[in-house]
Amino acid sequence: MGLIPPAPRRPHLAAEELQHLKWLLGGLLTLISLGAVFYLDLEALMLTGVAALCTLAAMVRPRLLARVPRLLHTLAFPLVTAFFIGDVWLRSEVLPAMVRLCILLLLYRNITYRQRRDELQLIVLGLFLVMVAGVLSVSPTFAVQLLAFAACALGLLLAITLAELQLTPAARAPVPPGETPMWARRAEFGHLIRRMRAVLDWRIAALGAVLFAGVVGMSALLFLSIPRFQLENSMFLERFIEKKAKTGFSETIRFGDVTEIQQDTSVALSVDVSNVRRIPASPYWRMLVLDSYQNGVFRASAEQRRNEFDPERAGTIAPGGLRPRRGEATYWTFYLEAGVSRFLPLAGAFQTLTFQEAQHFRVAPRLAMVALREEPVTMVAYRVEDFEMGQALPDTRFANRWSARGEQGTRAAEPLVRLALSDADQAALGEVIVEATGGAKVVPADFVRRVGEWLRQRHPYSLKPSIPAGDGDPLVRWLRSRESGHCELFAGSMVLLARSAGLPARVVTGFRGGSWNGYSNNFTIRNSDAHGWAEVFDETAGAWIRADPLDSGLSEAAQNLHGEAAVASRLDRSWKARVDSLRVFWYRRIVSFDQRAQAETLRGVKDATRSVTQELRARIGSLFERAKTWLVAPWDLRRAFGSAAAMVGAGLTTWWLIVRGPALWRRLSFRRGAGREDPVRREAGRWLGRLAETEPEPDHAGVRQELQRLRFGPRASWTEPEAVFRRARKTCRAARPRQRPGRRRTTITRP
Amino acid sequence: MNLHEAAWEGPRGRRRRRFSWSGLVWSFVYPERGHRTVPTAPGLVLIFLALGIGTAAYNSSSNILFITLSLLLACLILSGVLAWLNLRGVEWRLVLAPPLRAGQETTVVLEVRNRKRFLPTYGLWFEFNARSMDDAAAATGHTLHASGAEVRRIFSKAAADEQRARVPLAHRLDPESEGRVEWTFRPARRGRVRVEVCAVGSLFPFGFLRKEAGTATCADALVWPAPVAYRSKPVAAPRRRVGGDRVARPGTSGDLLALRSYTPGDSHRLIHWKASARSGDLLVRQFSAESAEGHALWLRTDAAAWGRGEQFERLIALAGAMAEELFRGGRLLRVAINGEAPRPMRRAHDLELWLNRLATALPERETPTAEPRVANGAGTITFAPDGKQGVVAIIGGEVTAWA
Repeated sequence: MGLIPPAPRRPHLAAEELQHLKWLLGGLLTLISLGAVFYLDLEALMLTGVAALCTLAAMVRPRLLARVPRLLHTLAFPLVTAFFIGDVWLRSEVLPAMVRLCILLLLYRNITYRQRRDELQLIVLGLFLVMVAGVLSVSPTFAVQLLAFAACALGLLLAITLAELQLTPAARAPVPPGETPMWARRAEFGHLIRRMRAVLDWRIAALGAVLFAGVVGMSALLFLSIPRFQLENSMFLERFIEKKAKTGFSETIRFGDVTEIQQDTSVALSVDVSNVRRIPASPYWRMLVLDSYQNGVFRASAEQRRNEFDPERAGTIAPGGLRPRRGEATYWTFYLEAGVSRFLPLAGAFQTLTFQEAQHFRVAPRLAMVALREEPVTMVAYRVEDFEMGQALPDTRFANRWSARGEQGTRAAEPLVRLALSDADQAALGEVIVEATGGAKVVPADFVRRVGEWLRQRHPYSLKPSIPAGDGDPLVRWLRSRESGHCELFAGSMVLLARSAGLPARVVTGFRGGSWNGYSNNFTIRNSDAHGWAEVFDETAGAWIRADPLDSGLSEAAQNLHGEAAVASRLDRSWKARVDSLRVFWYRRIVSFDQRAQAETLRGVKDATRSVTQELRARIGSLFERAKTWLVAPWDLRRAFGSAAAMVGAGLTTWWLIVRGPALWRRLSFRRGAGREDPVRREAGRWLGRLAETEPEPDHAGVRQELQRLRFGPRASWTEPEAVFRRARKTCRAARPRQRPGRRRTTITRP
Repeated sequence: MNLHEAAWEGPRGRRRRRFSWSGLVWSFVYPERGHRTVPTAPGLVLIFLALGIGTAAYNSSSNILFITLSLLLACLILSGVLAWLNLRGVEWRLVLAPPLRAGQETTVVLEVRNRKRFLPTYGLWFEFNARSMDDAAAATGHTLHASGAEVRRIFSKAAADEQRARVPLAHRLDPESEGRVEWTFRPARRGRVRVEVCAVGSLFPFGFLRKEAGTATCADALVWPAPVAYRSKPVAAPRRRVGGDRVARPGTSGDLLALRSYTPGDSHRLIHWKASARSGDLLVRQFSAESAEGHALWLRTDAAAWGRGEQFERLIALAGAMAEELFRGGRLLRVAINGEAPRPMRRAHDLELWLNRLATALPERETPTAEPRVANGAGTITFAPDGKQGVVAIIGGEVTAWA
């Protein structure tokens, strides 16, 4: 039982070479999978690194695996099981434990010689890791990782299929620990690459590339056409993982927290705006309101959490406090990166907020805040209808309370005014107020302006502030010094000074500014745009007015900029912006693709088809019209001659194509190229042609058959070519030329 | 003896049909007979993976999962397209090289060619099957009434009689080239045998689906009786004629019989130089054989005498083995079976015809008792049962061989 191999035009990869190729592809697959989870915050950095290094070493020198102690193979399964159970038990997080288990299994599969089922296990484990990484990060790099993984996995499966047919039963058997299979002993990178180059036909490689592009196109089509239903379930992976905000935007902020965020230049937030005219020159994206201060720490008080936030809801729509306006609404679509905060950045009071996926959330309409129940593990997309983007945030409830307290004379007991400071600190604050305002009684707006100027004059801005050592409140110490400070210190000082002056004040944290991406036309806000500012209550306006001591960079004219002018002032067309635009495209078109977008896409395709058809029809109609006009125009000799010449030219070209076209096509076609490779086949073809020009006789049949065997048959069936050609020569000499009326033509018919 | 060389066939039989999209679509709805596509273990994993990811995608509305699902489905579609392309343009034909002998290995060759212009074909396998046709011929026109167990027993017996094997075409089959697949099998008994290529299949490209196309490629052949070892005893030769019997058979002692092409090993003294010079080919002289002793062989397959199947098979095997040995020694002149006309044994072809006849010989209810004119002066070898299992050959009432 066996196979006589066909005559090879290109060499074949031997079974051992296919084994080596499989091994390399498996290793590459593992590296891609490990790369996908490398950047995830799953506390598996060390394990991932070790697994990647071991995989690389095994890829380069597969024979090293024979040195893996036998004991490790024996204990592998119990150890891995114990590791997983211990991991889940100690950390109480299922998903990270599963990811670590996956990495461990991948590591083990790469330090043992794999069988067919192990390769399949490798693919499934790798896919799990890539998928988890994609779901958790919702990053555009997921698309690249998935495509690389798919290409690698398909290559591996192909290699497995081809190798299985060549492997002997002995080669398929598992390799005992401590032994090296033959392919690993002979494995050599350079040799495999040379063999691959010899085996690979560029046409097949090109076809493979085209087919893979076809797979990508097909999956895109499937993605667009798979029917979507909104099942209103929460993200399933969230149940298995707990995540903390990386940025520090939480209910408690110490000095330096926001500054730490500012060191990070990664994108925190992308914002699409439906109406560019509504974009302010210097937008503030508020996230948290911190109303309580003690010993250098601002925090959101329990009272605020209790009184200001509505009860928790589940769903996709969160109503804000803003009343609907007349005219066209402006839609702001936010893409908040994972790990920023569970408090959503907002530009002010809003009308309606709609999540892309159902969420558990609480709304504080008067604070213009929305808080999710848990830290989101993935990017959160939400759309807000209309913002009130002024510098003042109306708060009638607090205005009434403040007014009532004024009548009762209990304003000093108001939590937003009360200061838990020593008398010395209180006195120091009073001195600063007198110095900043000149001792005059001023309205809150003036107070904010003057104190802001005083702070800016006295303290330079720095991301590396220093607070002088000593007794008392640290913020008051800094205030009295001339040390540099950052936004938190400026905002905190403003709050302390305002409260000391009897004005309700609080700290707000979030982002300020951002850049306008010139490629994707959206706001890009980075973590480095993190900012803290103060809000002081203006009794007359019944609203909280923004008091940002650091807001002096823009002139008044610049601050009033809106729309195109504001966009132009923040335009970013750098390479970074180009990369960010891909991210936004990913969020807009892929991640946010839902039932509505699907319907819009279908409508778009329908409209595009219709418009193309209409345009085509119009063009054809116009062409006919022009031809008709040309025909009915008066004819003269020159026109007639020109037309006749054109017709003759067209006829001659057509005739040439009919006569010479097939030969030309054959010359360009692959068959011709392949036939040219073998001189024996070419020679046999020539003799067949000559034989066809002679009168057919029964004696010729044998020679013709032998020539056809040389021309088309497998090499294994050839007789001695020279002898066949001698017989053919003799036959041709002895034979009579074929008598045919008219032109003689040679035809070779394939058997 | 000619090769059994069949016509080229493809996955859709001998007829080459033009490709049409409607035909392709209909083939999904009504697959051709014998064509089937079955998911393999990796394919099942992929399907369950796709189901799981799809469920998770709908539950979570996560487009990341929808993308993964789409990619998995696209890979499945690509797998189907490549599998279809792989089988397209592939043709094969069966070459069966007789003689086939019961109990001896025989090689069946399947020539495979790829008619595609620039796409190679990878990873094909062929399912071979060899089965005896005697039972099938006997069963023709009969209706069998049997219980389920009996039917199962009959089927299992039929399956046991069959010899099956899956032979891979391990290497790539380049465009417009041919390859050969060889299958070696051992016919269990004499008679008619049908060698079939039941199916051609492939796991190409990714091993998700096992695609099989049933084929009608088959070749029939006769299986000669197995050679049997026997003991012989020299007996008195028939009376010699003067000058001996001249037999028109190649030999070395008689007159010039013919000229033939030179083959390596021929004596140089036999080269006919004049004829060689005239024809341009090296020709050697061939003489007729001259034998003085000869035997005739008469085989009676009387069902009453040869009631035991095993003993009858031994009879046939002995008749074949003795005929071969006598022919090689130039001592076999004629053969006959039952009342059939005697056949002269002059050439190797006559011996082949005799073995062909033995391959299909069956016990007859009525056989002539009178010896046909096979002897013509030669000693006639007949056969008789020897006990319950043995067979003896008899010349002139004397036992000359035992088996």
